[in-house]
Amino acid sequence: MRNRVIALTCTMFLALAWSLPPSAQDVTSAAQSVAAKKQSPPPGSAPKPFHVPQPEKLSLPNGLQVTLVPYGAIPKVQITLSVRAGNLNEAENQVWLADLMTSLMKEGTASRSAQQVAQEAASMGGSVDVNVGADITHIAGDVLSEYGPKMVALLADVAMHPLLPASEIDRLKKDQLRNLTIQKSQPQPIALEQFRKALYPNHPYGRVFPTEQMIQGYTIEDVQKFYKDNFGAARTHLYVAGKFDTAAIKKAISEAFSSWQHGPDPLIDIPKPVTKHDLALIDRPGAVQSTLYIGLPTIDPSNPDYIPLQVMNSILGGSFGSRITANIREQKGYTYSPNSQVSPRYRDAYWLQVADVTAQHTGDSIKEILYEIDRLQKEAPSDAELAGIKNYLSGVFVLRNSSRAGLIGQLEFVDLHKLGDDYLNTYVQKIYAVTPQQVEQAAQKYIDTQKLTMVVVGDKQKVAEQVAAYQGSGM
Amino acid sequence: MNIFLRAIAVLPLVLLLTWGALAAPPAPTASSSFTVPVVYYKLPNGLRVALSSDHSAPTVAVAVYYRIGFRVEPKDRTGFAHLFEHMMFQGSQNLGKMEMIKLVQQNGGTLNGSTRFDFTNYFEIVPANKLETMLWAEADRMRGLAVTEDNLKNQQGVVGNEVKVNVLNRPYGGFPWLDMPQYANSNWYNAHNFYGDLKDIEAATLPDVQQFFKTYYAPNNAALAIVGDFDTAEARKFVDKYFAGIPSVPQPKEPDLTEPRQEKEMKASKPDPQAKRPALAVAYHMPARNTPEYYAMGLIDQILLEGDDGWLHEELVQKRGMTGNVEGGINLLGNMYNYNGPMLWTMDLYHDNNVKDDDIMAAIDSTVERIRTKPVDQKTLDRALVKMRSDFYDQVSQSNGFGRADLLCSFALFDDNPQRINDIETQFRKITPALIQKTAEEYLRPTNRTVLTIEPKAGESTQASKWGN
Repeated sequence: MRNRVIALTCTMFLALAWSLPPSAQDVTSAAQSVAAKKQSPPPGSAPKPFHVPQPEKLSLPNGLQVTLVPYGAIPKVQITLSVRAGNLNEAENQVWLADLMTSLMKEGTASRSAQQVAQEAASMGGSVDVNVGADITHIAGDVLSEYGPKMVALLADVAMHPLLPASEIDRLKKDQLRNLTIQKSQPQPIALEQFRKALYPNHPYGRVFPTEQMIQGYTIEDVQKFYKDNFGAARTHLYVAGKFDTAAIKKAISEAFSSWQHGPDPLIDIPKPVTKHDLALIDRPGAVQSTLYIGLPTIDPSNPDYIPLQVMNSILGGSFGSRITANIREQKGYTYSPNSQVSPRYRDAYWLQVADVTAQHTGDSIKEILYEIDRLQKEAPSDAELAGIKNYLSGVFVLRNSSRAGLIGQLEFVDLHKLGDDYLNTYVQKIYAVTPQQVEQAAQKYIDTQKLTMVVVGDKQKVAEQVAAYQGSGM
Repeated sequence: MNIFLRAIAVLPLVLLLTWGALAAPPAPTASSSFTVPVVYYKLPNGLRVALSSDHSAPTVAVAVYYRIGFRVEPKDRTGFAHLFEHMMFQGSQNLGKMEMIKLVQQNGGTLNGSTRFDFTNYFEIVPANKLETMLWAEADRMRGLAVTEDNLKNQQGVVGNEVKVNVLNRPYGGFPWLDMPQYANSNWYNAHNFYGDLKDIEAATLPDVQQFFKTYYAPNNAALAIVGDFDTAEARKFVDKYFAGIPSVPQPKEPDLTEPRQEKEMKASKPDPQAKRPALAVAYHMPARNTPEYYAMGLIDQILLEGDDGWLHEELVQKRGMTGNVEGGINLLGNMYNYNGPMLWTMDLYHDNNVKDDDIMAAIDSTVERIRTKPVDQKTLDRALVKMRSDFYDQVSQSNGFGRADLLCSFALFDDNPQRINDIETQFRKITPALIQKTAEEYLRPTNRTVLTIEPKAGESTQASKWGN
């Protein structure tokens, strides 16, 4: 949801974070002096088996897809309507119209006022949560188990019969304008906007922020039309995870959703992203850090190389123990929270390294990031380093599949990208099959350092000279 | 979500907080009750140990909590408790710099540490068969640190960058979670800059680090929780094997942390040259922990502030359109259970320039006065109880058992009674509309609060200079 401003407060005192495999020169003399008498950690016992909880799938005649996953010991159930509509469906002059429409969905239905919707959800121990993404809009609630069927009915009412009242649109537009201003005063959203614009100059994925004029121009008719054009059973997948009475939930789903019209099929609009070296320096006078966004388009989850790419990313910058983090955080102290990721949308993805680095080491940080990419391209990881990252990825996979929301996220990922029912069951096996050469090749093939889009948001006076070497087409 | 549009999380730590519950075979019928199994005992050296098994997923969470938070740090070393926390990852006798992290990661787990008001914690979530490995590692760093000047210098750089990314290089940095305690409290221990003045962080020395460890990082000042898929007898054997030999250390007397009763409303304003819109926060001092009034405040928080059915949301967002969101709660750096000293109940919101502070305060007052002047109806109270119970189930299951370990360690350290985890719901159920009104009369007095406003102003900020740079 875009209407929340402060997200970092609780994580900020989570201090530690990333790691770094100590290379030989990291080992201090003091550490060496105790090395001789070091004990080895006890290895633990034999691993216990893990099986991904198996879902039950069904569909209604109107096209609504349903996935049920009984899961967990806690008496709660998560119900998520996942609608294939989002910012992708906005026209060029409609940025955040999807968000405005979704906010208005919380303002009451044909038979319930906004207050009734809020109070009913609360009296089940939950709330109606809406949020808009590039490809998918979520309407969801997490409630005490005994209220599962009632929550299905409430979410169906919100999704199928929203009032979209004209009386509330001015207030919500005012909230959007304020959020827009606040977000654009923060360095990371500024960097993201520029990065997306560079990759997707003619596609909705490239339009992160609207103009104020756009928001001011939206009418209730625009909102109602957007709803009508984009919502319906054929675009919707309902996920239920947790402890629930299967028969009662199925009955509630059938009763609540059978009357929904089929509606439009999902819009398929696959971008042709720009892969080209470019450096944009956005001035933020007085900034004590520079915010770096460095990345490029890459393969999407349907490509068989996606798994080797994930392994490569985890070694390079995407984990506690990754090389870039080791370098610019634990060796150099330039930054607190660097991270790399593969960010996918339907049949589209980019690789991205982000870091907020101390201003005087902006150029040094870029240099070290490029150095680590280059190193992985020139030399495959050792068997030990690769084995460690495989264990990490398979362990994190277990954790990811051990919560209601986590499971729904995994199942939705498989459904969106059409990866097949076997994907989760064979994921760990595929991770363990990746070879050191595949990692090296993934770095060579998918991170061409001559074609990186670089965005630096910082104080021009302090950093222009430092990044000059990376400007223009020659590097 | 939130400030990182379209789901780009800059702090991967957030991932940790989104993991959830524990797997179990599907139950045929859903019933809304849950009892947490708890085994609690102490080692002869004073280490408090709480075990809670759950065999539904092959994972285990190990958490060690030391009873030293950022309230109690040396007066000329603001931010030191947090800097020290970073040093606990820089090396112990058998694990060199970063080897702890590698050990956890290569065994398929994740880890973190954090510094809060009244404790510093360290935890790992790993495959269940690695329990012994993690206990060995935590015991190793409880025995002693092996860190160098280089390690300290490196982490001073990292922590400096942490303060910059979370406070100095962004609008609303520190608002209200870091700012408000400094304005609302009068006792230095509760009212200093917990993240630390950059000058203080840079001034820390290796002897400071060693002295802090020697003073507070002792088994008799710590609690260990294990939550997940393990055998209790075997876990006890491992705990004994690795922790029993660590000597206890007499603990210094805790300084006086009390706050006097506030008798006059306080107002503060902070210019923020990076902000483009004003913001406002209000904080009230909480009743003492574990009293009936404390539980009543938990329900008042649910009624007034939590969710779209909260009265403040209805009044300020829905009805008056003054803001898009009113947020907050009890203990912005944790939850209402994991602290042990004076605490604030805080709300905050962002608004437009043409919405005046006085009008916002009038709207807040008219809402808060409703709960001070009339008992709430039973339906409202029932709804608050359901919300509270639902939140509590999330707390005892979140992050693959770590959420439960957090409560067990807090209740072990502060109450010597982790069994309290199964008594919380009963305590909330005892609260009557009359007690809610009485609690609101005393604790939601305007004279018990501090109002802090952020003014979007270019130019030199008086507050910013307080950070030194």
